[in-house]
Amino acid sequence: MEDLLRELAPQVLGAVVRRFGHFAAAEDATQEALLAAAVQWPGEGVPGDPRAWLITVAARRLTDLLRSEQARRRREDAVAAWTLPDEWLAPAADQPVSGADDTLVLLFMCCHPSLSPSSQIALTLRAVGGLTTAEIARAFLVSEGTMTRRITRAKQRVKDSGLPFRLPRAEERAERLGAVLHVLYLIFNEGYASTSGPDLQRAELAAEAIRLARMVHRLLPDDPEVAGLLALMLLTDARRPARTGPDGALIPMAEQDRGLWDADAVKEGVELVTGALKRGSPGPYQLQAAIAAVHDEAPSAEETDWPQIVALYELLMRISDNPMVALNHAVAVAMARGPLAGLHLLERLQEPLMGDHRLHAVRGHLLEMAGDHAAARDSYEEAARRTTSFPQQRYLHGKAARLSAGPDAPTA
Amino acid sequence: MKYMIQSYASQQDYDAMAGKDTGRSGWSGEAVADMHQFMEAFNKELEESGELVETRALAAPVHTRRLGSRGGEAFVTDGPYAETQEVLAGYWIVECESFDRATAIAARLGQCPYPGDPGDTMYADIRPIMDSSADLGF
Repeated sequence: MEDLLRELAPQVLGAVVRRFGHFAAAEDATQEALLAAAVQWPGEGVPGDPRAWLITVAARRLTDLLRSEQARRRREDAVAAWTLPDEWLAPAADQPVSGADDTLVLLFMCCHPSLSPSSQIALTLRAVGGLTTAEIARAFLVSEGTMTRRITRAKQRVKDSGLPFRLPRAEERAERLGAVLHVLYLIFNEGYASTSGPDLQRAELAAEAIRLARMVHRLLPDDPEVAGLLALMLLTDARRPARTGPDGALIPMAEQDRGLWDADAVKEGVELVTGALKRGSPGPYQLQAAIAAVHDEAPSAEETDWPQIVALYELLMRISDNPMVALNHAVAVAMARGPLAGLHLLERLQEPLMGDHRLHAVRGHLLEMAGDHAAARDSYEEAARRTTSFPQQRYLHGKAARLSAGPDAPTA
Repeated sequence: MKYMIQSYASQQDYDAMAGKDTGRSGWSGEAVADMHQFMEAFNKELEESGELVETRALAAPVHTRRLGSRGGEAFVTDGPYAETQEVLAGYWIVECESFDRATAIAARLGQCPYPGDPGDTMYADIRPIMDSSADLGF
């Protein structure tokens, strides 16, 4: 019942916005229709066409909302910004349209480039994900009042931009889809980067991002980057049970108990990315998913196919100048060809990543591989000084302490 | 009334808790987990009683930037604190019926498990918050 409502929410909102405009008021009306359904359906049973039922109730509610004087003025403004019928790429309001299209249009709207990333994320979770403002506020550690204002401002921006409610034109569709995928990727990372303890609620964000990515994949089954993003999320999230020890300490991939990885998620992710790559246009999400798949398919850390990972990172570096990609490439090169080759590549990253603890952590790791324990210890300590994350500090200090104690010391 | 409960720590305390070899009684992984568990339960109770407004932990003192001004020019000093200087490490803002109730809440923090000797130096401050524009004289 709850799943059904969450699935239908963006379709209903989309249908109402398409018919009436007034994004903010339509959102209120949709919320009230969902509430009415949650109250009535358990007793009276789910109607034969639940989507139509919700749209009817939401439309009726919106009409009531629009009856006020202020709303009439708003409606006149909206009419002034109306799009001419021949500009519609989506069917006009009087033509039947699938709920799927409405969900997709809504996603494009929430992830419009005129909005800041934090607004895009908040609006997507609210309008498409159907999370409450309180839930979103908790996940991002801000007060409910702040999140309410953030969402209200974003809705206002959407309204002011005079965006017609329709799919973007063909020529800008790829770029706009890129923005949608990036927002889902950010939501996933926000949930995945927080591991335990007080951040537990944020782990639900990763699940929500996967749910939304599945939705987009269902709507656009032929898009390889959509499949790649969903695969990347599944293949990364599969390792969650093994990432932290009983005391909340971080466990790096090489030391994780691979038996704890979610085999079903790995299988699904591998199938998705394999199918996507066959289409022959490997974008950044497919390549990252392919790298994650190589890791997940290795029965042990020692059996990782590092040369293949190096090759994939080299493809990724051709389309992305992100220094973090280059840093991961240096690690893969070190694993494939020895630590000195990796250290040599790090010299080039000194400039862009000087202040980033990850550069120093990687250098420590490669120096340790090369047997230079004193220098490795200094790099680990330097990395620990630069990160504000407590679990990472503990991990890095632990690495340093183990080297001070000498190679034969028992590991803690 | 709203009150701010403030807890303090020095860079050395932070380092010890982050597992750095400081030659003092160390924090094992279990000790850290115990402390987290205590804090989570403590915060959850305050949330459930409706008294918690918000709580935050601050990053280590070395990550502080101090903004000063010299001859009308702003300048930044990184990490202005000495290793042993106690600085604000975290705070709770609570809304409760009395100063005594806020004090009782803060007293519970003294039961947080701590490796070795928590020392007689541990303390928390409870400070009333200027709650309305009237208090501020606006």
